[in-house]
Amino acid sequence: MTERLSNREGIKGMANPTRYGIERVAYWLQRLTGLGLLAYLIGHIFETSTIVHGKVAWDKMLEFTQTPQGHIILTLVIGMCVFHTANGIRVMLGHGGIGVGKPGQPEYPYKAASLNYKQRLCIWVSIGLAALAMMYGASILFGD
Amino acid sequence: MRESIIMKIHYGTALGAVVLVAVHILMRMTQNFGQSLQYQNVIANYHFLPYALMLEAVLILLSVHGFNGLRVILLELKQGSGYEKMVNYGSLAAMAILIAYGSRTILMAGMGVS
Repeated sequence: MTERLSNREGIKGMANPTRYGIERVAYWLQRLTGLGLLAYLIGHIFETSTIVHGKVAWDKMLEFTQTPQGHIILTLVIGMCVFHTANGIRVMLGHGGIGVGKPGQPEYPYKAASLNYKQRLCIWVSIGLAALAMMYGASILFGD
Repeated sequence: MRESIIMKIHYGTALGAVVLVAVHILMRMTQNFGQSLQYQNVIANYHFLPYALMLEAVLILLSVHGFNGLRVILLELKQGSGYEKMVNYGSLAAMAILIAYGSRTILMAGMGVS
């Protein structure tokens, strides 16, 4: 019981992206971007609801959001969205057994077959796509 | 409901949302980004029934996916009968409130009520 409790790190354990390689970083980023996107969704629904109060309220809201800070937030949202989508598709395919390799006899140094180069490559591709989308988004937002 | 079915819903809503959000973003790109946010343009979007229906679908898909994701994160963090019940019902309630509030905007803007 004491040992079980001592192993319980709670939110600190979940918030720590280190110790288990790039797969752990992907797990951490997937949750972090998910929470960020949920926060943005709530904010976006609240922000767009001002349209029902007429043109003045809408323009006032635009003045508040269409600022360099607002554009930086939107650029981050674009990156989060692309990473969450690309990595989410990887996870979905993995749950379906696609790209996780074949089960085999465990042999030293006991590398998990599911964490193969395809999976790692997909994580890096997700990060790369997110970076590219952020650059493209920023060029449109700040190019206006 | 079984967790396996909930995960299928989670993945289904994710795939649906990816497609519809892409359409939603492309609609903003049909013209200059700043111009597309002008009051008349946004109101015209809400008055266009197929687009308004698509927005409603995006709202439902993203709310279900988002709050189920939050539920999964919270259940990974801590377990226990009372806590799990609270998280499950809390997520459902938050999901319903967000859908209701977003639908109100779509309906009111679409029907020109302000």
